[in-house]
Amino acid sequence: MRYGLPIRPLFLLLAAAVSLSGCGGPKDDRVRITIWHQDRPDVRDVLQKQLDRFMALHPEVKVEQLFKETEELRSGFIIAAIAGQGPEIVYGPSDQVGPFQVMDIILPLDSLFDRTFLDQFTPKALTYYKGRLYKIADKMGNHLTLVYNKKLVPVPPRTEAELVAMGKALTKDTNGDGKVDQYGLTWNYTEPFFFIPFMTGFGGWIMDEEDRPTLNTAGTVNGLKFIKALRDEHRIIPNEADYNIADALFKDGHAGMIINGDWSWAGYQKAGLDIGVAPLPKITSTGLWCGTMVSPKGFSINANITEEKKRWAVELIRYLTSEENQMEATRTLFTMPTNRNVIRSGFVQNNEILRNSQIQIDNGQPMPVVPELRAIWDAMRPSYQAVLAGSRSPEQAATDMQLQALQRIREMNE
Amino acid sequence: MPKPTFKRNLRVTASYAVLVLFCLIAVYPVSQVLTVSLRPADRLLSTSLEIIPANATLDNYINLFTRTDFLRWMGNSVLVTLTVTLTGVALASTAGYGFSRFAFVGKKAALQSMLVTQMFPATMLLLPMYIMLVKLGLINSYLGIMIMYSATALPFCVWQMKGYYDTIPSSLEEAGRIDGCSQFQTFTKIILPLASPALVITALFSFMSSWTEYVVAAQILQDTALWTLPIGLKSFESNMSTEWGLYGAASMIVTVPVVVLFLSLSKYLVSGLTLGSVKG
Amino acid sequence: MSPSLRKNLFIAFLVAPAFVILIGVVVYPFVYNVVLSFSNMNLRHIRDWEIVGLRNYVKVFTEPSQPDFYVIFIKTVVWTVVNLFFHVVIGVFLALVLNQKEIRGKGIFRTVLVLPWAVPQLIVALTWRGMFNYEYGSINQIMTRLGLPAVEWLRGPTEAFIAVIITNVWLGFPFMMVIALGALQSIPHDLYEAADIDGASWYHKLRNITIPLIKPVMVPAITLGTIWTFNNLNIIWLVSNAGEPSDSTHILVSFVYKAAFNFYRYGYGAALSMVIFFILLAFSLVFMRRTKAADAVY
Repeated sequence: MRYGLPIRPLFLLLAAAVSLSGCGGPKDDRVRITIWHQDRPDVRDVLQKQLDRFMALHPEVKVEQLFKETEELRSGFIIAAIAGQGPEIVYGPSDQVGPFQVMDIILPLDSLFDRTFLDQFTPKALTYYKGRLYKIADKMGNHLTLVYNKKLVPVPPRTEAELVAMGKALTKDTNGDGKVDQYGLTWNYTEPFFFIPFMTGFGGWIMDEEDRPTLNTAGTVNGLKFIKALRDEHRIIPNEADYNIADALFKDGHAGMIINGDWSWAGYQKAGLDIGVAPLPKITSTGLWCGTMVSPKGFSINANITEEKKRWAVELIRYLTSEENQMEATRTLFTMPTNRNVIRSGFVQNNEILRNSQIQIDNGQPMPVVPELRAIWDAMRPSYQAVLAGSRSPEQAATDMQLQALQRIREMNE
Repeated sequence: MPKPTFKRNLRVTASYAVLVLFCLIAVYPVSQVLTVSLRPADRLLSTSLEIIPANATLDNYINLFTRTDFLRWMGNSVLVTLTVTLTGVALASTAGYGFSRFAFVGKKAALQSMLVTQMFPATMLLLPMYIMLVKLGLINSYLGIMIMYSATALPFCVWQMKGYYDTIPSSLEEAGRIDGCSQFQTFTKIILPLASPALVITALFSFMSSWTEYVVAAQILQDTALWTLPIGLKSFESNMSTEWGLYGAASMIVTVPVVVLFLSLSKYLVSGLTLGSVKG
Repeated sequence: MSPSLRKNLFIAFLVAPAFVILIGVVVYPFVYNVVLSFSNMNLRHIRDWEIVGLRNYVKVFTEPSQPDFYVIFIKTVVWTVVNLFFHVVIGVFLALVLNQKEIRGKGIFRTVLVLPWAVPQLIVALTWRGMFNYEYGSINQIMTRLGLPAVEWLRGPTEAFIAVIITNVWLGFPFMMVIALGALQSIPHDLYEAADIDGASWYHKLRNITIPLIKPVMVPAITLGTIWTFNNLNIIWLVSNAGEPSDSTHILVSFVYKAAFNFYRYGYGAALSMVIFFILLAFSLVFMRRTKAADAVY
């Protein structure tokens, strides 16, 4: 009986694989700098252009960017750095700074950059922790905004009362099958990060100045009540919505408004929607705007870096955060710059989307950098979702969140 | 002994009905992925249920090949996966035979300890594994992941080969020995061909475990030139704005080699003893 | 060379290569974790950690947690047992149906049925999540068309748990089917023919021929399937959006994952991993002994 494996085709396949693969090729003795980041594809394209220009200026250096998903970037960087390895530069939001600093795997940057250089940035762009500088940002981000479909919503609401009224007018059964198929508002409301605006709108915040959790407040309770009312009383948001469902509803024109960040705008335009971006509304009873967490996104340097590479890493960060490169990113991506001149530029000041984005940033609170932030999210999630499921009262949930957060923080810091 | 034909027809019809039903269940979610790949503007979900969306486009497939390094990832993955598959088949077919046919000291313990390697949650193994590979200088190298992958797939493959050899009567080898074959020859000429269904499963399993592996690869391969398909696919994802169109298209194409492999191997899956090579 | 030495060399030639690779890869990480499980390695002691004894183990069993350790343990067992049950029953059943002489187009059926195994898991798991959506998901639309009430799959803890299990059953049955299909090939037809002459019922044949003869292949597959499922967090994570609603769909390994990656408690994570390890070890020892999988059939 013949059972012979198809040796020849297999061999050919292997040969083809080798030729396609990254094996071989001339050895490259340039200085290698690697950046890990967690940015979306269009941001990567802009970064690549800038890196290519940098390499053209400095032929002796090869810079590579590597995308890692947020969680994986953090855990992967920690693992690599403990083993004495890892990328020379990590790029990301400021909440990386806390854990990385405590573990001593990123360098303080104060002595590596001069004062004049640092003075070109708005103060929010420089992330200090325990008195030293650990991150230099080229973008402000992570903030949520109210995105609206201009076809359905000609003028965005400015207060929560207007939001509810507009939502009620928009939420309807358009095809007469007895089911609602157009909603006033939708968003990923099951995730605590997307709850923060309402918590702050009602006067709450997650931590005090000493980084102790402050979840058991009227702000939390009223915020929870408000979201629950949007769904159960005013019925202007869908019964069930995670990020992808909310996104699909808005893209398909089945929702007038969505709460989402700057990363989503281009996608909505690509889907053929005429969108507007507005600050999240003001809560009448408190007189406060719904503010979101705002985080600078920037560069930190691995503590394992060699002296030679350190010089190049500094050079590269100076280059990537420069005025021209920030201008380029802002024009292509509608991200908020950190360089004072770019912020003052006509482009930023006259663009409606960027202007509203700036208002939302000003209404927001900086994202805490301390490692304890992880504990806060983890403590909030189950109680928050229990309120939405109707199995816990908002007051009870606020108490539970606080207790959980305290316990988690104690466990982390043993 | 003639069977009542009515009963037989009923059984055959029912069998087809069952198979068709399960095929539909198997295909439907996959068809959703196809839909994602044909939809413009990166929508993972939609409020409509059509499988071919209204404004279907092949742009995602075109972009996949023109705008990304998809072909290179494919080449890398084929290289890694084929090596791991061949290693897996070679090591498992021999070790399984040893465990099935011979009694030796520590055999049971050895067999058990193979399973033991699978029991520890992988999450916690990542850190020491990385430290170990750094010490061995195997970071950023295919040798590193090939060894890791082979080691992960081996316990199942060895057990599965051993189990299959166990069902082959040892009288066959005795017959071979009488005909003057050496121990090694009886193994390769008589037993191995009979075990082809198990070899196919071993090959398929080794293939799948490295074709789809992501976590270890992402930690070890820190150079885009070395990326394998799963890391490449993952790069279409980002926190809140994943390129679902590309991701869907890539997922469909990544599935093709697996299906081709299965189709081409499946004739060996149903050969073996039942072909009548032993009978008579 | 004496015959016995020659035989031993042959055995070594057969078994040693696989073993060397396994030991080379597994021993260091395992020992590292054993040491870590007795240490205080965490956020504050990431490099300067030291041995602190059994503290982490005590915590695994006594630390108050939300959800509770023991509740999660029971959930993990339910998750594993239900999954394995359906994987094996559906897999073996389909293999038996496919293995009948009269069926035509076997190649096509086999290939289509293996698709759930072949497609990248992440995107398929997320489309399953979409299918479970209350208003727009196809599952509820099909159910209402059949006159059944729509289910809020992702909002209730029990419903969400069922949804996760359905997805994982779908992903896992092809594997068991392929294994069973392979195993069925080793059964000589004449055994069935002889049984037919004796007038045996299908149940009798299943019980006395099929099951005993596919057992040597199926038992290791089931054992490993159990181990993998017990520790398989991915699908739960994706379909339930990281444990929604309210962390009610977690299994034990998600504690390990959270401890290590969210809270940087490596010592605790290692201790919990050791506990999981011993649970699985105990299971497999008992299961293998009961089914005599390490022994030969002939």
